[in-house]
Amino acid sequence: MNGSEIFGAWVAVFLTLGIFSYLYKDNPFYKIAEHVFVGVSAGYWMSMFFWTQIQPNLFGRLWPVPEGTISGFFMRTWYGIYNLFGSILPSVFPDGGIDKGHGTHPHFIYIIPFVLGVMMLLSVVSKWSWFARLGIAYTVGMAAGLRAYAFLNSNVLGQLKGSAVSFVGLDWFSLTDASIINNIIILIGTITGLLYFYFSKEHKGNFGKVTRVGIYFLMISFGASFGFAVMGRISLLIGRFTDLISYGGPTYNYASLWVLLLMVILLAVWTFKSEKKVAS
Amino acid sequence: MEKFLDFIVRAGSLDRRYIFVVIALVVMLPLFFPLNLPIRPTVSSQTIYNTVEKLESGDKALVSFEYGPSTKPEIHPMAVALLRHLFEKDVKVYITCLWPDGQFMAMEAIQQVAVNQYQKVYGEDYVLLGFRPGNEAVIKGLVSNFRKVYTVDSQGNFLDDIPMMNGINQVADFDYLFSASAGYPGTVEWVQYAADPTGVIMGTGTTSIQVNEVMPYVQSGQIKGILGGMPGAAEYEKLIGQAGIGTSGMDAQSVAHIVIVGFIIFGNISFFVERRRSKKY
Repeated sequence: MNGSEIFGAWVAVFLTLGIFSYLYKDNPFYKIAEHVFVGVSAGYWMSMFFWTQIQPNLFGRLWPVPEGTISGFFMRTWYGIYNLFGSILPSVFPDGGIDKGHGTHPHFIYIIPFVLGVMMLLSVVSKWSWFARLGIAYTVGMAAGLRAYAFLNSNVLGQLKGSAVSFVGLDWFSLTDASIINNIIILIGTITGLLYFYFSKEHKGNFGKVTRVGIYFLMISFGASFGFAVMGRISLLIGRFTDLISYGGPTYNYASLWVLLLMVILLAVWTFKSEKKVAS
Repeated sequence: MEKFLDFIVRAGSLDRRYIFVVIALVVMLPLFFPLNLPIRPTVSSQTIYNTVEKLESGDKALVSFEYGPSTKPEIHPMAVALLRHLFEKDVKVYITCLWPDGQFMAMEAIQQVAVNQYQKVYGEDYVLLGFRPGNEAVIKGLVSNFRKVYTVDSQGNFLDDIPMMNGINQVADFDYLFSASAGYPGTVEWVQYAADPTGVIMGTGTTSIQVNEVMPYVQSGQIKGILGGMPGAAEYEKLIGQAGIGTSGMDAQSVAHIVIVGFIIFGNISFFVERRRSKKY
């Protein structure tokens, strides 16, 4: 076990216990862990997005390594811009172009997403913030178009097919597989659940009784969701405890125990001082 | 009786921090003293196992990692178990990531399974293509032209130089698709943009909280099987006969559930007793 791994374990223990300490009450340890998490996440995501997409797939397509020498006024100007960027940021724009498998000719169509991206960044300048609307409009329009077909195909047609259950050639009852009883439950649940969201008729009389059945189905579904949510949270807790237990061993110099002890003492002092301050 | 009811009402307004301590204890104790409670695979876990069992040596599986450290305890054990099963069957594994942290989860799983356990060769038995931002647009791109989205893998190798990438041009070229997903983008997007349009058989492993959202796709046959949270991972570990983190966590999971159900019942009794008293007076 090298020093950096042990140090990493101590940091992980501190951050985990810092977050857990919120269960006692809001305190400086929680604040530190929360701010570190937000800051590191933002920095990490930005760096990943830049080095996996913007640099290789956008700049790599705009300025690929050219074949032979660059000729012609336009191309010399184009790669002149690249060299200018390269003199400022040589790690992003290495000498001679970016070689990420996008051929040897610039894909000028990618100027459009480049410009739209720059427009979105302009939202930080109040005078030119309206430019950002164009980028956002493109993104929203593209996403809406992309999703429309997929939702229609998978969620509407696919689910309609799934709800069209058979009552022929099946066993009467099965706990695990399709059966007549199970399919009747699916049919009743689907119809009554949908009717509950039909608001053009008041939910009274026989219609009200049917929609009430729909509510029961919805409640069972919410109950299952709650159960799954609890199960998920407990799994996450088990994960953290498993790590804390392994970091509490001699390999990591008893990191969990030392950090826990230190944190409890400091929290006690902090609480004592805060109460004294309030009293005075 | 009245004293007992008094106790119930008083206990109902217990400081929630005592409950946190109890939960912490019931989760931690089984980790130190395992109970070895039985694990029985459900139909949905069995379906995934059966589907992978039907794959033959040399078949191609696309595995997508869409989770990060925050959901690692739920998804990572099942991702590891699935990789073990795939490598056991000599299936070629192609890994993509729609979440930036997914790449590091994939690296960890690969190191554990492909490198340490099965001594597989990078580029011949498995490849880590890495993360690409763009959510469903990435999936859509992979369905139409794989090489427009990925020209290089996560290590910067050109796809054309990787032997196992020969003949892989779109999602339809795969024999199996698995999404290890903790949210958006994840399972639902893979169904909508890849599995449904191409007809490639798809399985998924999700966080527990997603199971209700994904289950309709399983019921309709759009997804062939689902591993739900840590229990799903434990069931899969049981099926492949290799106990892992999922199995070791299940005792704590079961005991914690019993205690939580107890708290819920107790809380309800306290609520009803208090309500009856307030009506009475």
